[in-house]
Amino acid sequence: MPPELTDEAIAREALANQEAFGFLVERYEAKLARYLERLGLSVPEDREDVLQNAFIKAYMNLNSFDPSLSFSSWMYRIAHNEAMSFFRAKRARPSFALGEDGEALFASLADDSADTAAFAEARLSEGQLAKAFVTLPPKYRDALTLRYFEGRSYGEMSDILEVPVGTVSTLIHRAKRALRDALPATFSP
Amino acid sequence: MTHHDDSLKEKILARIERERLRPRPRWEFVLKNVVFWGLGALAVVFGALAVSAGVFEAANADWRFWEATHDTFWGFFLSAAPILWGVALLLFIAVGYYNIRHTKSGYRYPLSVLALGAVLTSTALGAALYASGVGRTVEEGVGSFPPFYRPILVEERAWWQDPARGALAGQVVSVSTSTSSFTLQDFAGALWRIDTDDLRAPDFAALLPGATVRVVGVPATTTAAFHACFVFPWGAVATFSLPLGGAERTSRQERSEECKGIRPYGALEVLRGD
Repeated sequence: MPPELTDEAIAREALANQEAFGFLVERYEAKLARYLERLGLSVPEDREDVLQNAFIKAYMNLNSFDPSLSFSSWMYRIAHNEAMSFFRAKRARPSFALGEDGEALFASLADDSADTAAFAEARLSEGQLAKAFVTLPPKYRDALTLRYFEGRSYGEMSDILEVPVGTVSTLIHRAKRALRDALPATFSP
Repeated sequence: MTHHDDSLKEKILARIERERLRPRPRWEFVLKNVVFWGLGALAVVFGALAVSAGVFEAANADWRFWEATHDTFWGFFLSAAPILWGVALLLFIAVGYYNIRHTKSGYRYPLSVLALGAVLTSTALGAALYASGVGRTVEEGVGSFPPFYRPILVEERAWWQDPARGALAGQVVSVSTSTSSFTLQDFAGALWRIDTDDLRAPDFAALLPGATVRVVGVPATTTAAFHACFVFPWGAVATFSLPLGGAERTSRQERSEECKGIRPYGALEVLRGD
């Protein structure tokens, strides 16, 4: 499969030739595995199960792919829904290790703070941020994950989360406020 | 990492092969989308039918006479406002929203846009349906089923079958040659001799044999006899307004104290243009 082919073109090809679908798996496996981990699927075996189910579901539903979306948003939507189904079915709680991801989120919180400099100078450990992050309602965590860890635009988030763009904006705003409220008092606005 | 990638890819392709999985046909998705859009549109049409029935109910309750038939405006409002049809409209909008939200691109539209669009479309279509007479059919047809609801024309007849509070309606059977009285057959079939001492020219204009009229009078203490203070035509049923009064006053004689004592006297005097 020529590497310059777009995802959308490969998806069309995969309708007739399942081998072509393998190239989409190759392209998205690492990205989606990282995304699932960011959604709180920390156990590798669980992550692979969810990933495999997401790809199978994508294959089965290739004909429902809307060319007005990017294939990437569509694929992320399926992975997101599979992860949510997994948490519901297993009654499992997501667990997070933010690592470097926390930096982008922390920077964004600092930008929104009344005293940006003071906020940035305060020392916030990864553990403190992760602890606050895990207390957020899932819809807020999902929004922050897509925006600050995956770097998705509001339009892409709308397609992935299947909510209007205005709702994405509201979710981000409320999620950041909830996260600030959950941080130690030093970081409160 | 490469080995792991290949491994997942191989696992997925092997599973596709082993379970003989094939992409679901396109028509399934197209059909599902069409069904959701269709159900959404159908809900808007049903909402429009509810609007047309609601407009019919509101237009025919004849709000001008509420003081003659009810003690309080609130009591009249609860009887005459198209609450059932309003609830039905809200229900259909909810159903429409649910269905459109489940179409392929439905998630892109905010609730407010979808709800407002559905309300406006239902209202515009409902007004057109009312104007074409569908409102009455729906109000009387569908409205006869719920045990807690009576079609407005049936309800209104009941309001005007209350001589003890001075409200009576029915068909004019005959007018005496001296015009001092007329005979009215109420909606229950009973005959009433109604004296006309307090009536004036605009009242007499409505008193044509065979015509249906509403009579506001002194609360009756006996059966079969009634003292009229005002007579109004029963009125048309498919219009928003019915001009009343306006006939030239031919007598300056005041109505009797008996009539002046009835509760809706002031309101009806204004209505009549006295």
